[in-house]
Order: sequence, then C-alpha cells, then structure tokens
Amino acid sequence: MLEKLVYNILNSKTKKFLVIVLTLVALVLSVLMIPADLVKARMLPGKSANTFSVYVDTPTGSSKEQTKKVSQCVIDILKKEKEITDMELYVGDGIPLDYAGLVKGAGMKNSENVAEIAVNLTNKHTRKEKSFVMVSRLRPTIKASCEPLVKGTVIKLIEQPAGPPTLASIVVEVTGDDLNKLQELSHEVAKVLKRTKKVVDVDIMSDDPYKKYELIPNKDKIARSGLSVEQVNKIIYLAFEGMVVAHKNSKNEAGQIGIFLTLEPNSKRFDTRSLEALKNKLSSMNLMNKKGMLVSLTEVVDIKEVNAKPMIMHKDLRRMINVIAETDNESQVYPLLAARDDMIKHFKKLGYKVEKEPGISTYMFDLHLTDPKTGKKYLLRWDGEMKVTLDTFRDLGAAFIGALILIFLLLVVYYKSFALSGIVLAGSFLSIIGVIVGHWVADLVTTDTFFLTATSLIGFIALMGISSRNSLLLIDFAKSLMEAKGMEKKRAIATASATRAKPIALTAVAIILGSALLASDPVFGGLGVALISGTVAAVFVSLIFVPVLMDNSKAMDIDDENPIHHDPNDISITR
Amino acid sequence: MINYQPKDIAGKLAKAFLKNPLTAILGATLIILGYISLMVMPREEDPQIAISGGAVIVPIPGATAAEVEKVIVNPLERKLREIKGIKHIYGMAMDNVGIVNVVYKIGERREDANLKLYDKVMQNMNKMPKGTMQPLVKPFDIDIDIPIVTVAFYPKDGSKANYEEMYRTIRALQQKINAIDNVAKTTLKGAHKPQFNVEVDMGKLSAYNLSMGQIMKAIQSVAVDVPDVKGRTKDNKLIIFGVKNAIENVDDVKNIIVAQYMGSPIYLRDVAKIERGIDYQNFKDAYLDMREGKAKGDKEKPNRGKFIPQKEQVTLTIAKLAGTNAVFVAKDVEKVLEEHKAELAKKGIGYVITRDYGERANEAVNELMQHLMFTILIIAIMLIFALGFKESLIVTFSVPAILAITLFIAYITGQTINRITLFAFLLSLGLLVDAAIIVIENIHRHLHAHDADKKDMEVLLVEATDEIGAPTNVATLAIILTMVPMAFVGGMMGSFMKPIPLNVPVALIASLFVAYIFTPYLGLKLLKKPKHKHSHHKKHENKESK
Repeated sequence: MLEKLVYNILNSKTKKFLVIVLTLVALVLSVLMIPADLVKARMLPGKSANTFSVYVDTPTGSSKEQTKKVSQCVIDILKKEKEITDMELYVGDGIPLDYAGLVKGAGMKNSENVAEIAVNLTNKHTRKEKSFVMVSRLRPTIKASCEPLVKGTVIKLIEQPAGPPTLASIVVEVTGDDLNKLQELSHEVAKVLKRTKKVVDVDIMSDDPYKKYELIPNKDKIARSGLSVEQVNKIIYLAFEGMVVAHKNSKNEAGQIGIFLTLEPNSKRFDTRSLEALKNKLSSMNLMNKKGMLVSLTEVVDIKEVNAKPMIMHKDLRRMINVIAETDNESQVYPLLAARDDMIKHFKKLGYKVEKEPGISTYMFDLHLTDPKTGKKYLLRWDGEMKVTLDTFRDLGAAFIGALILIFLLLVVYYKSFALSGIVLAGSFLSIIGVIVGHWVADLVTTDTFFLTATSLIGFIALMGISSRNSLLLIDFAKSLMEAKGMEKKRAIATASATRAKPIALTAVAIILGSALLASDPVFGGLGVALISGTVAAVFVSLIFVPVLMDNSKAMDIDDENPIHHDPNDISITR
Repeated sequence: MINYQPKDIAGKLAKAFLKNPLTAILGATLIILGYISLMVMPREEDPQIAISGGAVIVPIPGATAAEVEKVIVNPLERKLREIKGIKHIYGMAMDNVGIVNVVYKIGERREDANLKLYDKVMQNMNKMPKGTMQPLVKPFDIDIDIPIVTVAFYPKDGSKANYEEMYRTIRALQQKINAIDNVAKTTLKGAHKPQFNVEVDMGKLSAYNLSMGQIMKAIQSVAVDVPDVKGRTKDNKLIIFGVKNAIENVDDVKNIIVAQYMGSPIYLRDVAKIERGIDYQNFKDAYLDMREGKAKGDKEKPNRGKFIPQKEQVTLTIAKLAGTNAVFVAKDVEKVLEEHKAELAKKGIGYVITRDYGERANEAVNELMQHLMFTILIIAIMLIFALGFKESLIVTFSVPAILAITLFIAYITGQTINRITLFAFLLSLGLLVDAAIIVIENIHRHLHAHDADKKDMEVLLVEATDEIGAPTNVATLAIILTMVPMAFVGGMMGSFMKPIPLNVPVALIASLFVAYIFTPYLGLKLLKKPKHKHSHHKKHENKESK
C-alpha cells in the first residue's frame, strides 16, 4: 500500500511538488509557533520538590525582633498548609546552604535584618499539589499580610532550581558611575518590573537608606581632657555593643568561655529614636582620664544625624546595583521582554535617551541610557536566568550545527556524494516540525505550561542522528535494489520505502516507548516529548519526503559517473 | 571451524566469540561488574558542578564605604583581574570592610583556582593600604559547603532551650559525627556558646565614680593564663608549678575587686549583674515548627497531627567529601544519632532530621532505575510481537549488558550516579536496542531463507551478523557524532548536562559490541532453524545467492 502511494507520488510531478511545498509549509508554520508564543521557550521548567524556602529581608537597620515578627507571620500562614511537615526559621542567618542559596548569597547573610525559613513538605509522590504551584498560590497571601508589618520588607519564596542555580530569574544590572543616580535608576527599574505581569519578588540589592547618628570625636577636647580617641571609641562600643574582654580555658567545657562585658540592658535602652535621647544617654557615661578624673562623654564628642552610607557594589570593576525578580511559574523570557518594552517607554518619558544594544549577542537585550542633562551614560544589563538561557541555547545551537557538519562529513565519506548527504541532512532537520508541534500538543494536554527547554534541544540533536539513520538505510536499500536487481529508479525507491517501513517503525516504536516515561518528568519532559514527536515526524519524512528528494537527485542514478559504490551485500539489511 | 571469512569487524567479533566457552563467563562478568558499580558508585541527586571562586575580605576599621571603595576594592579588583580564567569579579565596599568575590569560568580546576587567588593576594600584600588588617581569602567549596544532612536539636519540654547544656551535648555529638568516614565539614547553626555576662549598671558606676574602662582592665588583669613554670633544685631536678586561672566559676568573676573606695574594696558584683549565660550578642537564632507526625519520626505521614508549639533549636549541618556516596554518609550519620537518642532524651533533647540529601538521592536514583526496568520490559513485550519470543529474549538480555558496561566505565572514570546519568541511560535506551534488533532480525531472516538448510548454523549466524556490520556501524557513528559537540557546551548548563555526552556514546559503542558478540552467541544457543520451508521470501532470493 505504501509502495503504491510512494510510487504514485513519484510518478506525478505535481504530487511531488505538492509534497515538497506541504513539507516546507509545515516547517515554516511550526517554526512560527515559537514567535507566536504558542510554544514557549524556557531554559528549564519548574521542578516539584519536597522543600522550598522563604527569604525575609526587613529594611537595613531593622532589629532582629522586627525580623522575627515578620517571619513569625509567614510561619503562621504556612502552618495552615496540610502538606507542610516542619519549618526551620533562622533569624540573622541563612538556612543551611542549598543549591538555590549558593548563588543567591545565602551563605553571606549575617545581619539582624535577614531571616530564612526552610519549609519541608510531604513526599512529592504522595502529594497532589506540585511545590511550584503551591509556592505560586501562597506567595500573594504571604506578601499581602506579612510585608506591611515592617515597612520596606521584601519576602521572597525560593524554589529549588531544576537545573543549575542562578541569582534570580530576572536580574537587571544597573551600571554607571554616579552612585545617587544608580539608586534612582534602580528604583525606576524596580517600579517597571513590579507592574509587569507574572513578575514577583522584586528586590533592589542595595542597602535601604536609613538614618544614623555619627559621633564625631572632638580631638582637641579629648587631648585636653587627658583621654585618647581610641579609648573613646572603645568605651562606646563596650557600653552599647559589648565585648568579650577576657577568655577562660576550661577542661570541663566544650570550648573557651568568654567574659562578656557590657552595660546592663536598662542602662543602655534609649527612650526614643532621637538625637535628644542619644545625647541624654551619652551624657551619663563617664570616661576616666589619666589623672583619674571622670569626664562625661558628651563633652568630648559632637553628635550629628546623617544618612547611612549604602554599600557600594561592583561587578567587573564597574559600579552596579542589581535589581532582581522572580517569575511566577512562568518562563522568564516573556515577562522580561514585556518589561524591557515598558522600560524603553518609561525611561524615554523620564527624558533619557534610550539605545538598544546593537548586534546579536547574549547581551542583546541590554539598554543604554544617556542622561541628556549631564551626558552621563548608564547601562541596563539583563543577567540571571536570561543570560544563562541565551548562553545555553547559543551553545546548544552551536552543538547542533556542529552535529550537522559532522554527520554531513560522515555521509560524504560514506556515499562520496554531496547531494545524497544533503538529502539525509534535510530529512533529519525536518524532525523539528515534530518537535515543535509535539510541544504544542503537550502544552495543550497538560495543565501547566509545557516549555520548550534546553532538554528539548538535546532531544532534537539526538534525533538528528536517529532520523539520518532512517534515510541512510533507505538510500542504501534503494540503491542495492537498483544495482543488484536492476530495478527502475522510481520503482526501487517506492519498494525500498515500503519494505524499510517495518524496521523504521519498529525502531521508532522502541524510541517512543523508551521516551514515554521521560516525558512525564518535569525537567526531562522536553527531551521525552522531543524524541517522541520528533521520531513520529522523522518516520513520515523518511518514508515520503526523502523518497521524493531521492527521485529528484541525479546522484541516485546509476551511470558511469556513479558506479556501484560498494558491495551490495553490505546493505541488504532486512526484508 | 567456522568456514566463513568475515569482512567487517561485526563478523570478526561474532566469529571469535561464537564458539568460545568464555563468552558466557564474559557476559556474566559484565553484568556482575555493572551491578557492583551500581551499588558502590556514589549517588547524588544532581551532578556536581565545579564552580570555583572565592572571596577576599579586607577589613579596614574606621573607613567609610566610599573610602573602602577607593583604597581597597578598586586596587584589589585591578590586581585580581590579572588572574587568567576569572569570569566575573564582584566588589563590595561597606563601612569598615571591603569584599571582593571572584567567580572562575566553569571547569576551572578548583585547586588551581584557589591557589591562583591566594597567590595573587599574597604577592600584593605590600601594596595594602595602611590600617588594613590581615586579608582573609576564602575559597568557595560546594561539596564541603552544601550540607547533605541537617539535624535540628530541640528541647523536649517547653520551648526555651537550655543552650548551655545543649551546646555541650551537641558539641560532643558533633565530634562523633565528624569522625564518620567521608564526613567533611560540620557546623552548628543557631547555637549559643556559654559565657560569663557582666552587665554593668550605669547608675551604680557613676555613684562609685568608676568608668567602664576601669572595669574592663580589672577583669583582664585577673583572667590571665600563664604557662607552667619550670624551676630547678640544687641537684638539677625539675620542679614544675603553674599559676591557676583565677577565674573558675561565676563567683570568681563576681568577686573581682574593681577599685578601692574609702578604704574598702568594691567588688564587680556591686556594680554589675553577673551570670553564667549564653552569648546573647550573637544575634543568630534558630526556631523549629513541626507537626506531631514529624516529631514522632513518622516516615509515612510526617504531616499528621497539629503543629506543636514553636521551639528554639540548634541545627547541626553535615557535609560530605567530594566524590563520596551521599547515601552511605547520610545512613551512617543517622546511625550515630540513633545510638545517642536515649542519651539525648535523658538530657531532655530531641532531634529531627530536617534535610536528608542522601535519601533524596537514593529515591531519585531508585525511581529512575524503576523507570529504566519498566521501559526495558515494554520494549521486550513489543519485540515479542514483532520478532518472536526467543528473539525478544535475546534483545532484552543485551540491554542490561550494555548498561552494565556503561555503568562500569562511568564508575572507573570517576563519575557519580545522578539524575542526569540515568536520563542519559533512558535517552540511549531507545537507541541501543537498535543494533541488537538489526542483528537479530537479519539472523531471523537468514534462518527463514531458502538456502538456510544448506548452511551450518554457525556460518549462518556469523554471515548474518557480518552482512549488516558496515551500515550499522555508520548509523551508530552518526548518532555518536551528534553527541560529540554537546560535550563542548560551556557554562553551568554544559556541566550539568555533561553526563549525557559522556555516557550516551559509551552506551552506543557498547551496544555495537554486545550486538556483535552476544546476539549471535545467544542465537546459537536459543534459536533453531525452522523445520518447514518458507515461500514468502522471494524478494530477497537474489541477495542470498552469492
């Protein structure tokens, strides 16, 4: 039946033309599904895990009691969840380091305004709700009720990464020289990100401005009262922060025991957070000078209210402020592009000259801003998962082209014909139709978004080899029929595709069955779907499209220029 | 002797092993080796990604962020830029301290990377500005830094922890856990050390006309440790005597004389509250919330019951050495904890394991192994319908043999079993049955051909295998070639995916060898020439007649 079909197609020029046109249309349509967002690309999809973590960041300068209060609010909400077994809260510290925390700087946390909560869930096999769905559901509730407790608090829900960890899904590096301007720009960027759909957990990675009081030692007065600046500094620290002034080793203890000296809590508590209260307190503190006389602290220092100097961040020797955000169960690509368009409009409205990064590189989404008043330039650079995604897709694309070239060379060596090698290659490339359509179908049948991922690309690359083998065996078989049996070209091709259909289908079924379990995995689902749908496409391509190309190719003809290329016995593979 | 001259490597292998008695032993050995590899290979959930890098921390007391940027961060960044292989440099200038983090390109050897960083900082020590303290160079180390097991210790009764007691007990336990094979770094989180807290009352201080400085000096002058002193007698014998630390307990601290006032001594207890407590200046606290099920160690339903009231806790984190088996380390840790359970309970301390990557890795690996087995079964069933029972059996045998070879090679090349390795196996599964299918099908066809009766079984098997050698080799080579460029994918993702280009080609090559060696061998043992003549193979007559 297949033999007849192929033979009919080969015998009619219009039908042959139709096959080629239909194939090309299918190719173009399927590739167009990507820009049309019917099939969404992402590096790796979310992975259901048995744990997630919550990062609580109260504004710089907050106390641990304030941080604890916010964290407790988060815990109280989480306690209502049936699937949560236990939670560990670490105030002033990060949770024990994990993959996610590795690049998010969790190990460096060491201040009173941070807290992290490790949340353990029941086993993912017995749990119905996937962890990333749960996180996505809980996030708005937690943020709405706990963030207002201390103004300026940012709460982030961190999922375990499916693949290599990144700082965040969306990272905007605001680079420039002027520190104040950088602060301002980063707030504008954060504003735009916050109003972008599907973007959550926006955070500016710089210290929040807060008021502090500076005690300026009056050197003149200090010298005249017979004190020293060092003494003044030390005593202030000792009084309010306290210090371990001596150690004691002991055989009965686990370690050294320190003797910690400080003022009694009531003595060092301030009445209010004001300059007056500070002055009052300091005036009751006395220092002893060399002559044994007591001098009041307020006599030798001046007190001034200042803005705390924020930390200065550099990346690759340039000043920079990071604005980070996560995406809510979505590929970072689409919100990022939306945010970028919005930013171009937003900064133009603010009077900046906005230029896009020219050329195609993995930094191609960067924006250059020029302040018209000062002429200073700023750079908004997209990093994080986007950069890793672009790098990965670029590398895998290069790997794909490398694979194409290697297969082509191998075939040229084997067939000693460029045309035949080209046919095989074209045939194997067409499996992309199946890959993309397969993802679209998978997206339709699953409840979550099914992304075209890096693993899909790996599957596609592997498919190249599989489908080129189909074409290879087909060509070999047809040639041997022509050479050994003297069959007419069209008839030989038709017979070959009909007889090869069974083993091609057999190996295809083996691959499809082998990949079926793969397809259910969140991370390697892309690979599974790519293999399954790509193989199906490859079967059709090698049985109908490749014969048409073979018929059109002169390299298939047997004449003086194309002598029998090898022993026909080598290629009689199956019936 | 088999009277056939094979042309291809396929036929040569088939001929060499067909009648060899060692073939069966080879097959058994391969499978046993594979099984041993599977059991002893280090298991982990995710493959190890070698991220090298480190932080240089330079404290400079009293400098503001802007000053630190100019005198520390900028020059240090410029110097570190000189190191080859660095991908990014992150500088942080804060009040009093400058930190520069370097991140190397993926794949940079960790030891070299650390050495280069240390070297560069040490070479430029003379250029450090005045007033800086000794810089600290801290390399990142993922294996050692990411704990595989964390255990939360909590007070069994009440919610407040007796940190003193807990600290002492857990510290002793930490020492024992650290002694377990392959345990690397252990840390305590949320722990508070005991210390003597001296809290001075400012009002009393001014009443006695004293200053904080005096009190500090008074304490320091008493709490001194002196090494033992050696003296000699007249006849040159040694006499050893030492000065005991004047402070042994909290009363000793209380009785420190701070000053004389109107002829009578002022003791420290007169101006300050003194107690033996914990280091409350350490603001890091840890708390624990859990359900009754978790607290009781119910593995099936840890989410059973209500949340018990929040407790203060101390977390012990345990990391393993690189390249060791997370599963074994985690089990050993659990055993040690179990041994001390009663002792801990007596002291009123309970514990729960809050992270167990060993179990997770084991679960992930076992789950994928089941998938693998299931897939093999499905393919075997499909082949029964397509080829026949015995043929299907032969192909099905070839799969474990191929996987065993691949596992063994992965083991001796120092890889670990992780999710990606197993996915590489699953991916190659569909591909690697092919060679066996092609060989068995050709044998099947030859057996049912017209001239089958005239030929020796052995000759027929070798010939059938030899015939398809060349195209199968080329086809397999084509698939291997597609995997080669993937090995050169850089970055995190490249490292993450590395097990695929490493293992799939090995599996494919193994599939060729297994197909050429064992398929004809098993064919000889299991398959028989059909008694009756087939007549529907006319198409191929021309090819059979040589």
